[in-house]
Amino acid sequence: MLTEQSAYTNRWRQISPVAKGFVSICGMVAAFAAGSPRTALLVALILSLATVLGANIPPVRYLRVAAPALFFLLASGLSLLASLDFSYNSTFGLSLHLAESELPRIFQVCCRSLACLTALLFLALTTPLTDIISLMRRCKLPETLLDLMTLSYRTLFVLSEAVHETVTAQSARLGYASLTLSLRSLGGLVANLAVQVWQRSQALHLAALARGNDGALRFLEPDYPDSPRAISCAVISGVLLVVLAVYLP
Amino acid sequence: MHIMEGFLPVKHAIGWSIAAAPFVVYGLYTINKRIKEKPEQRMLLGVAAAFTFVLSALKMPSVTGSCSHPTGTGLGAILFGPAAMAPIGAIVLLFQAILLAHGGLTTLGANIISMAVVGPFAAVAIFRSAKAVKVPFALSIFLAASCADLLTYVTTSAQLAFAFPDPAGGFAASFAKFASVFAITQIPLAISEGLLTVVVMNALVRFNAPELQEMKVTAAVQEVLT
Repeated sequence: MLTEQSAYTNRWRQISPVAKGFVSICGMVAAFAAGSPRTALLVALILSLATVLGANIPPVRYLRVAAPALFFLLASGLSLLASLDFSYNSTFGLSLHLAESELPRIFQVCCRSLACLTALLFLALTTPLTDIISLMRRCKLPETLLDLMTLSYRTLFVLSEAVHETVTAQSARLGYASLTLSLRSLGGLVANLAVQVWQRSQALHLAALARGNDGALRFLEPDYPDSPRAISCAVISGVLLVVLAVYLP
Repeated sequence: MHIMEGFLPVKHAIGWSIAAAPFVVYGLYTINKRIKEKPEQRMLLGVAAAFTFVLSALKMPSVTGSCSHPTGTGLGAILFGPAAMAPIGAIVLLFQAILLAHGGLTTLGANIISMAVVGPFAAVAIFRSAKAVKVPFALSIFLAASCADLLTYVTTSAQLAFAFPDPAGGFAASFAKFASVFAITQIPLAISEGLLTVVVMNALVRFNAPELQEMKVTAAVQEVLT
Protein backbone atom coordinates (compact mmCIF):
# COMPACT_ATOMS: atom_id res chain seq x y z
CA MET A 1 0.00 0.00 0.00
CA LEU A 2 1.41 3.37 -1.07
CA THR A 3 0.15 5.22 2.01
CA GLU A 4 1.89 2.73 4.31
CA GLN A 5 5.17 3.02 2.36
CA SER A 6 5.08 6.80 2.75
CA ALA A 7 3.97 6.63 6.39
CA TYR A 8 7.06 4.57 7.29
CA THR A 9 9.62 6.39 5.12
CA ASN A 10 8.68 10.09 5.27
CA ARG A 11 10.78 12.82 6.90
CA TRP A 12 8.27 13.33 9.73
CA ARG A 13 8.16 9.62 10.71
CA GLN A 14 9.75 10.31 14.13
CA ILE A 15 7.48 13.27 14.95
CA SER A 16 4.83 12.63 17.60
CA PRO A 17 1.49 11.40 16.14
CA VAL A 18 -0.25 13.81 18.56
CA ALA A 19 1.29 16.74 16.63
CA LYS A 20 0.40 15.32 13.19
CA GLY A 21 -3.10 14.32 14.32
CA PHE A 22 -3.71 17.83 15.70
CA VAL A 23 -2.69 19.52 12.42
CA SER A 24 -4.90 17.11 10.47
CA ILE A 25 -7.95 17.83 12.68
CA CYS A 26 -7.27 21.59 12.42
CA GLY A 27 -7.09 21.18 8.64
CA MET A 28 -10.55 19.59 8.61
CA VAL A 29 -11.94 22.30 10.92
CA ALA A 30 -10.41 24.95 8.64
CA ALA A 31 -11.97 23.27 5.58
CA PHE A 32 -15.43 23.44 7.18
CA ALA A 33 -14.84 26.97 8.49
CA ALA A 34 -13.72 28.31 5.09
CA GLY A 35 -16.20 30.95 3.96
CA SER A 36 -15.44 30.71 0.25
CA PRO A 37 -14.13 28.12 -2.25
CA ARG A 38 -10.98 30.23 -2.64
CA THR A 39 -10.18 29.92 1.09
CA ALA A 40 -10.90 26.15 1.03
CA LEU A 41 -8.54 25.79 -1.95
CA LEU A 42 -5.89 27.78 -0.06
CA VAL A 43 -6.24 25.38 2.92
CA ALA A 44 -5.90 22.43 0.52
CA LEU A 45 -2.80 23.98 -1.06
CA ILE A 46 -1.12 24.65 2.30
CA LEU A 47 -1.79 21.10 3.56
CA SER A 48 -0.68 19.40 0.34
CA LEU A 49 2.51 21.51 0.20
CA ALA A 50 3.22 20.69 3.85
CA THR A 51 2.84 16.97 3.04
CA VAL A 52 4.89 17.01 -0.16
CA LEU A 53 7.63 19.48 0.82
CA GLY A 54 7.63 19.15 4.62
CA ALA A 55 7.31 15.38 4.91
CA ASN A 56 9.18 14.82 1.64
CA ILE A 57 6.50 12.70 -0.04
CA PRO A 58 7.20 12.34 -3.80
CA PRO A 59 4.55 14.39 -5.69
CA VAL A 60 3.82 11.50 -8.08
CA ARG A 61 3.08 9.17 -5.17
CA TYR A 62 0.91 11.85 -3.55
CA LEU A 63 -1.13 12.18 -6.76
CA ARG A 64 -1.40 8.39 -7.17
CA VAL A 65 -2.85 8.09 -3.65
CA ALA A 66 -5.21 11.04 -4.20
CA ALA A 67 -6.31 10.08 -7.75
CA PRO A 68 -9.15 7.62 -6.89
CA ALA A 69 -10.58 10.05 -4.32
CA LEU A 70 -10.34 12.93 -6.81
CA PHE A 71 -12.20 10.82 -9.39
CA PHE A 72 -14.97 10.13 -6.83
CA LEU A 73 -15.08 13.85 -6.02
CA LEU A 74 -15.54 14.68 -9.71
CA ALA A 75 -18.30 12.06 -10.08
CA SER A 76 -20.05 13.29 -6.91
CA GLY A 77 -19.81 16.93 -8.08
CA LEU A 78 -21.30 16.05 -11.47
CA SER A 79 -24.20 14.15 -9.84
CA LEU A 80 -24.95 17.22 -7.71
CA LEU A 81 -24.89 19.40 -10.81
CA ALA A 82 -27.70 17.42 -12.48
CA SER A 83 -31.18 18.40 -11.32
CA LEU A 84 -34.30 16.23 -11.64
CA ASP A 85 -37.67 18.00 -11.93
CA PHE A 86 -41.02 16.19 -11.57
CA SER A 87 -42.92 18.84 -13.53
CA TYR A 88 -46.00 18.18 -15.65
CA ASN A 89 -44.70 20.44 -18.45
CA SER A 90 -42.09 17.87 -19.52
CA THR A 91 -42.80 14.99 -21.88
CA PHE A 92 -42.42 12.09 -19.45
CA GLY A 93 -43.47 13.88 -16.26
CA LEU A 94 -39.87 14.52 -15.29
CA SER A 95 -36.97 16.43 -16.76
CA LEU A 96 -33.21 16.34 -16.21
CA HIS A 97 -31.28 19.59 -16.52
CA LEU A 98 -28.21 21.36 -15.21
CA ALA A 99 -28.72 23.17 -11.90
CA GLU A 100 -26.80 26.29 -12.94
CA SER A 101 -28.06 28.31 -9.98
CA GLU A 102 -26.51 25.68 -7.66
CA LEU A 103 -23.08 25.91 -9.29
CA PRO A 104 -21.47 28.16 -6.60
CA ARG A 105 -22.76 25.91 -3.76
CA ILE A 106 -21.55 22.74 -5.51
CA PHE A 107 -18.15 24.34 -6.14
CA GLN A 108 -17.97 25.24 -2.44
CA VAL A 109 -18.81 21.62 -1.43
CA CYS A 110 -16.17 20.21 -3.80
CA CYS A 111 -13.48 22.65 -2.57
CA ARG A 112 -14.34 21.83 1.07
CA SER A 113 -14.14 18.12 0.29
CA LEU A 114 -10.77 18.62 -1.43
CA ALA A 115 -9.42 20.51 1.59
CA CYS A 116 -10.64 17.74 3.94
CA LEU A 117 -9.04 15.14 1.67
CA THR A 118 -5.65 16.90 1.87
CA ALA A 119 -6.02 17.01 5.69
CA LEU A 120 -6.69 13.25 5.71
CA LEU A 121 -3.73 12.60 3.38
CA PHE A 122 -1.51 14.74 5.63
CA LEU A 123 -2.16 12.26 8.45
CA ALA A 124 -2.31 9.08 6.36
CA LEU A 125 0.94 9.71 4.46
CA THR A 126 3.01 10.80 7.46
CA THR A 127 1.76 8.52 10.27
CA PRO A 128 1.71 4.70 10.29
CA LEU A 129 -1.58 3.15 11.36
CA THR A 130 0.06 1.65 14.47
CA ASP A 131 0.88 5.21 15.63
CA ILE A 132 -2.70 6.33 14.91
CA ILE A 133 -3.99 3.40 17.00
CA SER A 134 -1.69 4.36 19.89
CA LEU A 135 -2.97 7.95 19.54
CA MET A 136 -6.52 6.58 19.85
CA ARG A 137 -5.43 4.62 22.94
CA ARG A 138 -4.30 7.91 24.52
CA CYS A 139 -7.73 9.38 23.65
CA LYS A 140 -9.24 6.55 25.81
CA LEU A 141 -11.20 4.80 23.06
CA PRO A 142 -12.59 1.39 24.16
CA GLU A 143 -9.81 -1.19 24.63
CA THR A 144 -11.73 -3.91 22.79
CA LEU A 145 -12.08 -1.75 19.69
CA LEU A 146 -8.34 -0.93 19.77
CA ASP A 147 -7.42 -4.61 20.28
CA LEU A 148 -9.54 -5.55 17.27
CA MET A 149 -7.89 -2.77 15.23
CA THR A 150 -4.39 -3.91 16.18
CA LEU A 151 -5.15 -7.56 15.42
CA SER A 152 -6.84 -6.64 12.18
CA TYR A 153 -3.97 -4.40 11.03
CA ARG A 154 -1.38 -7.08 11.79
CA THR A 155 -3.38 -9.80 10.02
CA LEU A 156 -4.44 -7.94 6.91
CA PHE A 157 -0.96 -8.17 5.38
CA VAL A 158 -0.90 -11.93 6.05
CA LEU A 159 -4.32 -12.34 4.40
CA SER A 160 -3.30 -10.05 1.49
CA GLU A 161 -0.27 -12.30 0.91
CA ALA A 162 -2.53 -15.38 0.98
CA VAL A 163 -4.86 -13.72 -1.56
CA HIS A 164 -1.93 -12.82 -3.82
CA GLU A 165 -0.56 -16.38 -3.76
CA THR A 166 -3.99 -17.97 -4.36
CA VAL A 167 -4.79 -15.60 -7.25
CA THR A 168 -1.38 -16.37 -8.84
CA ALA A 169 -2.01 -20.12 -8.54
CA GLN A 170 -5.57 -19.78 -9.90
CA SER A 171 -4.46 -17.54 -12.80
CA ALA A 172 -1.72 -20.04 -13.73
CA ARG A 173 -4.52 -22.63 -14.12
CA LEU A 174 -6.63 -20.20 -16.27
CA GLY A 175 -8.98 -19.64 -13.32
CA TYR A 176 -9.85 -16.14 -14.52
CA ALA A 177 -10.15 -16.89 -18.26
CA SER A 178 -13.91 -16.21 -18.45
CA LEU A 179 -16.65 -14.57 -16.38
CA THR A 180 -18.01 -17.90 -15.08
CA LEU A 181 -14.53 -19.21 -14.24
CA SER A 182 -13.68 -15.90 -12.53
CA LEU A 183 -16.76 -16.09 -10.33
CA ARG A 184 -16.00 -19.74 -9.42
CA SER A 185 -12.33 -18.99 -8.69
CA LEU A 186 -13.20 -15.92 -6.64
CA GLY A 187 -15.77 -17.97 -4.70
CA GLY A 188 -13.14 -20.63 -3.96
CA LEU A 189 -10.66 -17.95 -2.94
CA VAL A 190 -13.05 -16.22 -0.51
CA ALA A 191 -14.26 -19.56 0.94
CA ASN A 192 -10.65 -20.61 1.52
CA LEU A 193 -9.89 -17.24 3.07
CA ALA A 194 -12.94 -17.49 5.37
CA VAL A 195 -11.70 -20.81 6.74
CA GLN A 196 -8.23 -19.32 7.20
CA VAL A 197 -9.86 -16.62 9.37
CA TRP A 198 -10.84 -19.28 11.94
CA GLN A 199 -7.62 -21.27 11.60
CA ARG A 200 -5.36 -18.25 11.97
CA SER A 201 -7.39 -16.83 14.86
CA GLN A 202 -7.15 -20.18 16.70
CA ALA A 203 -3.39 -20.22 16.11
CA LEU A 204 -3.09 -16.63 17.39
CA HIS A 205 -5.16 -17.49 20.46
CA LEU A 206 -2.93 -20.49 21.24
CA ALA A 207 0.20 -18.38 20.73
CA ALA A 208 -1.15 -15.69 23.08
CA LEU A 209 -2.05 -18.32 25.73
CA ALA A 210 1.42 -19.85 25.44
CA ARG A 211 2.85 -16.41 26.28
CA GLY A 212 0.69 -16.00 29.37
CA ASN A 213 -1.95 -13.69 27.84
CA ASP A 214 -4.73 -12.98 30.34
CA GLY A 215 -7.12 -11.05 28.10
CA ALA A 216 -6.24 -7.56 26.87
CA LEU A 217 -3.35 -7.12 24.44
CA ARG A 218 -0.62 -4.80 25.67
CA PHE A 219 1.89 -2.94 23.51
CA LEU A 220 4.90 -0.78 24.23
CA GLU A 221 4.31 2.85 23.25
CA PRO A 222 7.20 4.28 21.18
CA ASP A 223 8.96 7.38 22.51
CA TYR A 224 9.26 10.42 20.27
CA PRO A 225 12.26 12.72 20.69
CA ASP A 226 11.50 16.43 20.95
CA SER A 227 7.80 15.75 21.40
CA PRO A 228 6.83 18.97 23.33
CA ARG A 229 8.50 21.14 20.65
CA ALA A 230 6.69 19.28 17.83
CA ILE A 231 3.35 19.56 19.63
CA SER A 232 3.87 23.32 20.22
CA CYS A 233 4.69 23.83 16.52
CA ALA A 234 1.62 21.79 15.56
CA VAL A 235 -0.66 23.79 17.87
CA ILE A 236 0.62 27.11 16.49
CA SER A 237 0.34 26.06 12.82
CA GLY A 238 -3.03 24.33 13.32
CA VAL A 239 -4.55 27.33 15.09
CA LEU A 240 -3.10 29.69 12.44
CA LEU A 241 -4.68 27.56 9.71
CA VAL A 242 -8.11 27.74 11.39
CA VAL A 243 -7.78 31.51 12.02
CA LEU A 244 -6.78 31.99 8.36
CA ALA A 245 -9.83 30.04 7.18
CA VAL A 246 -12.20 31.91 9.51
CA TYR A 247 -10.97 35.45 8.74
CA LEU A 248 -10.28 35.20 5.01
CA PRO A 249 -13.37 36.13 2.95
CA MET B 1 -18.98 3.56 -3.00
CA HIS B 2 -18.66 5.49 0.26
CA ILE B 3 -19.42 9.17 0.83
CA MET B 4 -16.08 10.89 0.47
CA GLU B 5 -14.17 12.99 2.98
CA GLY B 6 -15.69 16.41 3.71
CA PHE B 7 -18.59 15.96 1.30
CA LEU B 8 -21.39 16.13 3.90
CA PRO B 9 -22.26 19.43 5.60
CA VAL B 10 -20.96 19.67 9.18
CA LYS B 11 -24.41 19.17 10.82
CA HIS B 12 -25.01 16.00 8.80
CA ALA B 13 -21.52 14.67 9.50
CA ILE B 14 -22.02 15.15 13.26
CA GLY B 15 -25.62 13.87 13.14
CA TRP B 16 -24.70 10.63 11.36
CA SER B 17 -21.76 10.08 13.72
CA ILE B 18 -24.12 10.43 16.71
CA ALA B 19 -26.60 8.06 15.03
CA ALA B 20 -23.90 5.45 14.37
CA ALA B 21 -22.39 5.58 17.89
CA PRO B 22 -25.10 3.49 19.70
CA PHE B 23 -24.77 0.69 17.12
CA VAL B 24 -20.99 0.57 17.53
CA VAL B 25 -21.32 0.73 21.35
CA TYR B 26 -23.96 -2.06 21.35
CA GLY B 27 -21.78 -4.08 18.96
CA LEU B 28 -18.82 -3.68 21.32
CA TYR B 29 -21.02 -4.70 24.27
CA THR B 30 -22.02 -7.93 22.48
CA ILE B 31 -18.40 -8.55 21.47
CA ASN B 32 -17.24 -8.05 25.09
CA LYS B 33 -19.89 -10.55 26.22
CA ARG B 34 -18.74 -13.05 23.58
CA ILE B 35 -15.09 -12.55 24.58
CA LYS B 36 -15.92 -13.10 28.27
CA GLU B 37 -17.63 -16.42 27.45
CA LYS B 38 -15.14 -17.50 24.75
CA PRO B 39 -11.78 -15.64 24.94
CA GLU B 40 -10.73 -17.02 21.52
CA GLN B 41 -13.42 -14.79 19.93
CA ARG B 42 -11.15 -11.74 20.43
CA MET B 43 -8.70 -13.13 17.87
CA LEU B 44 -11.51 -14.38 15.62
CA LEU B 45 -13.19 -10.96 15.35
CA GLY B 46 -9.86 -9.17 14.87
CA VAL B 47 -8.96 -11.48 11.99
CA ALA B 48 -12.56 -11.17 10.68
CA ALA B 49 -12.09 -7.38 10.38
CA ALA B 50 -8.92 -7.98 8.32
CA PHE B 51 -10.86 -10.51 6.21
CA THR B 52 -13.60 -7.91 5.50
CA PHE B 53 -10.95 -5.33 4.56
CA VAL B 54 -9.15 -7.75 2.23
CA LEU B 55 -12.53 -8.78 0.74
CA SER B 56 -13.29 -5.15 -0.08
CA ALA B 57 -9.97 -4.90 -1.94
CA LEU B 58 -10.74 -7.87 -4.23
CA LYS B 59 -11.69 -7.14 -7.82
CA MET B 60 -15.05 -8.72 -8.62
CA PRO B 61 -16.25 -9.29 -12.23
CA SER B 62 -19.61 -7.62 -12.89
CA VAL B 63 -22.27 -8.76 -15.36
CA THR B 64 -21.90 -5.43 -17.21
CA GLY B 65 -18.27 -6.27 -17.95
CA SER B 66 -16.89 -3.70 -15.54
CA CYS B 67 -15.33 -4.70 -12.28
CA SER B 68 -15.63 -3.53 -8.71
CA HIS B 69 -15.20 -4.84 -5.16
CA PRO B 70 -17.60 -6.80 -2.94
CA THR B 71 -18.85 -5.01 0.20
CA GLY B 72 -18.76 -8.27 2.18
CA THR B 73 -21.53 -7.02 4.49
CA GLY B 74 -23.91 -9.91 3.69
CA LEU B 75 -21.27 -12.62 4.05
CA GLY B 76 -19.82 -11.04 7.20
CA ALA B 77 -23.24 -10.67 8.85
CA ILE B 78 -24.17 -14.31 8.09
CA LEU B 79 -20.83 -15.64 9.38
CA PHE B 80 -20.19 -13.38 12.38
CA GLY B 81 -23.64 -11.93 13.27
CA PRO B 82 -25.08 -8.46 12.47
CA ALA B 83 -24.35 -6.78 15.84
CA ALA B 84 -20.63 -7.60 15.64
CA MET B 85 -20.51 -6.17 12.12
CA ALA B 86 -21.04 -2.55 13.36
CA PRO B 87 -17.65 -2.27 15.14
CA ILE B 88 -15.98 -4.53 12.55
CA GLY B 89 -17.44 -2.34 9.78
CA ALA B 90 -16.31 0.81 11.62
CA ILE B 91 -12.73 -0.57 11.75
CA VAL B 92 -12.81 -1.54 8.06
CA LEU B 93 -14.15 1.90 7.06
CA LEU B 94 -11.49 3.64 9.17
CA PHE B 95 -8.76 1.51 7.56
CA GLN B 96 -10.16 2.23 4.09
CA ALA B 97 -10.09 5.96 4.85
CA ILE B 98 -6.53 5.96 6.20
CA LEU B 99 -4.88 3.29 4.05
CA LEU B 100 -6.72 3.84 0.75
CA ALA B 101 -8.14 7.41 1.07
CA HIS B 102 -11.52 5.80 0.30
CA GLY B 103 -14.37 7.28 2.37
CA GLY B 104 -13.28 9.60 5.15
CA LEU B 105 -13.10 10.51 8.82
CA THR B 106 -15.81 13.21 8.75
CA THR B 107 -18.16 10.89 6.84
CA LEU B 108 -17.32 7.81 8.93
CA GLY B 109 -20.66 7.95 10.83
CA ALA B 110 -22.75 8.12 7.64
CA ASN B 111 -20.75 5.30 6.05
CA ILE B 112 -21.05 3.14 9.20
CA ILE B 113 -24.86 3.52 9.10
CA SER B 114 -25.10 2.47 5.44
CA MET B 115 -22.43 -0.23 5.25
CA ALA B 116 -22.06 -1.59 8.79
CA VAL B 117 -25.60 -1.22 10.16
CA VAL B 118 -28.24 -1.27 7.39
CA GLY B 119 -26.44 -3.80 5.16
CA PRO B 120 -25.68 -6.49 7.82
CA PHE B 121 -29.04 -6.22 9.64
CA ALA B 122 -30.91 -6.35 6.30
CA ALA B 123 -28.86 -9.39 5.23
CA VAL B 124 -29.64 -11.37 8.38
CA ALA B 125 -33.34 -10.31 8.39
CA ILE B 126 -33.75 -11.37 4.74
CA PHE B 127 -31.81 -14.61 5.28
CA ARG B 128 -33.93 -15.58 8.31
CA SER B 129 -37.23 -14.58 6.61
CA ALA B 130 -36.30 -16.57 3.51
CA LYS B 131 -35.46 -19.61 5.65
CA ALA B 132 -38.72 -19.21 7.59
CA VAL B 133 -40.75 -19.49 4.35
CA LYS B 134 -38.63 -22.49 3.27
CA VAL B 135 -36.77 -20.76 0.43
CA PRO B 136 -33.83 -22.96 -0.72
CA PHE B 137 -30.48 -22.25 1.03
CA ALA B 138 -28.71 -20.92 -2.08
CA LEU B 139 -31.56 -18.55 -2.95
CA SER B 140 -31.77 -17.30 0.68
CA ILE B 141 -28.03 -16.50 0.58
CA PHE B 142 -28.34 -14.82 -2.82
CA LEU B 143 -31.30 -12.67 -1.68
CA ALA B 144 -29.58 -11.75 1.61
CA ALA B 145 -26.26 -10.74 0.03
CA SER B 146 -27.63 -8.89 -3.00
CA CYS B 147 -30.40 -7.07 -1.07
CA ALA B 148 -27.89 -6.08 1.65
CA ASP B 149 -25.64 -4.67 -1.06
CA LEU B 150 -28.51 -2.78 -2.70
CA LEU B 151 -29.87 -1.45 0.60
CA THR B 152 -26.40 -0.14 1.48
CA TYR B 153 -26.49 2.02 -1.65
CA VAL B 154 -30.15 3.00 -1.19
CA THR B 155 -29.15 4.28 2.27
CA THR B 156 -26.17 6.18 0.81
CA SER B 157 -28.49 7.74 -1.80
CA ALA B 158 -30.94 8.77 0.96
CA GLN B 159 -28.09 10.28 3.02
CA LEU B 160 -26.85 12.29 0.04
CA ALA B 161 -30.40 13.36 -0.91
CA PHE B 162 -31.02 14.45 2.68
CA ALA B 163 -27.84 16.55 2.63
CA PHE B 164 -28.33 17.94 -0.88
CA PRO B 165 -32.07 18.19 -1.72
CA ASP B 166 -32.78 19.07 -5.34
CA PRO B 167 -33.52 22.81 -5.80
CA ALA B 168 -36.57 21.98 -7.95
CA GLY B 169 -37.83 18.57 -6.79
CA GLY B 170 -36.61 18.47 -3.17
CA PHE B 171 -35.61 15.25 -1.34
CA ALA B 172 -37.59 12.89 -3.63
CA ALA B 173 -36.01 14.19 -6.83
CA SER B 174 -32.54 14.20 -5.30
CA PHE B 175 -33.01 10.63 -3.98
CA ALA B 176 -34.24 9.48 -7.43
CA LYS B 177 -31.20 11.14 -9.02
CA PHE B 178 -28.61 9.59 -6.68
CA ALA B 179 -30.36 6.19 -6.68
CA SER B 180 -30.43 6.13 -10.51
CA VAL B 181 -26.74 7.06 -10.71
CA PHE B 182 -25.90 4.25 -8.26
CA ALA B 183 -28.36 1.81 -9.92
CA ILE B 184 -26.37 1.78 -13.18
CA THR B 185 -23.40 0.22 -11.45
CA GLN B 186 -24.85 -1.20 -8.24
CA ILE B 187 -27.68 -3.45 -9.53
CA PRO B 188 -25.27 -5.55 -11.64
CA LEU B 189 -22.76 -5.51 -8.78
CA ALA B 190 -25.40 -6.60 -6.25
CA ILE B 191 -26.28 -9.54 -8.53
CA SER B 192 -22.57 -10.40 -8.84
CA GLU B 193 -22.06 -10.16 -5.08
CA GLY B 194 -25.14 -12.34 -4.48
CA LEU B 195 -23.80 -15.00 -6.86
CA LEU B 196 -20.33 -14.78 -5.32
CA THR B 197 -21.71 -15.20 -1.79
CA VAL B 198 -23.67 -18.29 -2.92
CA VAL B 199 -20.49 -19.79 -4.42
CA VAL B 200 -18.57 -18.98 -1.20
CA MET B 201 -21.22 -20.45 1.13
CA ASN B 202 -21.64 -23.55 -1.06
CA ALA B 203 -17.87 -24.07 -1.04
CA LEU B 204 -17.75 -23.58 2.75
CA VAL B 205 -20.63 -25.97 3.43
CA ARG B 206 -19.34 -28.58 0.95
CA PHE B 207 -15.63 -28.60 1.69
CA ASN B 208 -15.24 -27.11 5.15
CA ALA B 209 -18.32 -28.19 7.13
CA PRO B 210 -16.30 -29.99 9.86
CA GLU B 211 -14.01 -26.96 10.35
CA LEU B 212 -16.96 -24.58 10.47
CA GLN B 213 -18.81 -26.74 13.01
CA GLU B 214 -15.67 -27.08 15.10
CA MET B 215 -14.96 -23.35 14.87
CA LYS B 216 -18.45 -22.31 16.06
CA VAL B 217 -19.85 -20.05 13.34
CA THR B 218 -23.19 -18.25 13.79
CA ALA B 219 -26.38 -20.17 14.50
CA ALA B 220 -27.85 -19.43 11.04
CA VAL B 221 -25.06 -21.34 9.28
CA GLN B 222 -24.90 -24.07 11.95
CA GLU B 223 -28.51 -25.02 11.10
CA VAL B 224 -27.51 -25.67 7.48
CA LEU B 225 -24.41 -27.61 8.47
CA THR B 226 -26.29 -30.01 10.76
